[in-house]
Amino acid sequence: MKNNENDFSPQESLQLIRSMIETTKHSISDKSHYFLLWGWAVFIGCVLQYYLKAIIDYPQHYYAWYITPVALIVFIIFLIRDRKKEKVTTFIDEASKYLWTALGFSFFALSFIFSRMGWQYCYPIYILLYGVGTYVSGSLIKFRPLIIGSIICFPLAIVTAYVDFDSQIIMLALAVLVSYIIPGHLLRMQYRKQH
Amino acid sequence: MFKELDPILHSQLRLAVMSLLISVKQADFIFIKEKTNATAGNLSVQVQKLKEAGYIDVIKEFKDNYPNTTCKITKKGIQAFEDYVKVLQEYLQVKQP
Repeated sequence: MKNNENDFSPQESLQLIRSMIETTKHSISDKSHYFLLWGWAVFIGCVLQYYLKAIIDYPQHYYAWYITPVALIVFIIFLIRDRKKEKVTTFIDEASKYLWTALGFSFFALSFIFSRMGWQYCYPIYILLYGVGTYVSGSLIKFRPLIIGSIICFPLAIVTAYVDFDSQIIMLALAVLVSYIIPGHLLRMQYRKQH
Repeated sequence: MFKELDPILHSQLRLAVMSLLISVKQADFIFIKEKTNATAGNLSVQVQKLKEAGYIDVIKEFKDNYPNTTCKITKKGIQAFEDYVKVLQEYLQVKQP
């Protein structure tokens, strides 16, 4: 960039504005680790719960979900680390932050609601919320695998409401596989190719 | 008769900084320096001029024990940028009938 010369034409001004705005378009940061963290945590939780409940018939099969506080600690470490590294905040980053904060509050509130209503109803709702989050996120960053994964979540949520609890666990694993894990790995690959 | 282009914005580096900041929520000094290829000294002077004009807010804080400067466009800055682009368009419309 030249010094603060004032003798440049309106065309050059416009070209400069265009090129600077263009550079910020490529400033989307890699957030795939969040999808991978929660995707794998929920997937492992599902596999463990299915094993405990359907295979060895262990009564406290919900112990599998002790993986959630572990994932939450890793998530907080990621957040602190990313905050330190962050050089720019785009409006997409800002919108994603509000979306996932609202969804985080929803999952927190739902844990109280389902403790009262009974956990047998929780999985269709969780799948629905995964669909909402990944649909909006995928659309914001225009990443097709995330959008496709999210859209699959909606029929999955309906089907989950009609099957028994053991099958619901499998459906939840399937939902995070298509909406978090596969798009998360593809997003990471795409980001690494670009950088 | 054309309106005059805002002299604060009609400077390559200051216009580049404003164009970056108009499209993000906020950006730190290092990011702006990388994207504009400016020297730290020159960028500091121009950022200071934009701040004095009220076009950007400059937040200085410590991040990991290192000083960190974050810049953010103000409402006055957005208005000035929009006005600048409008005047630019007027110039260009006459040149390209």
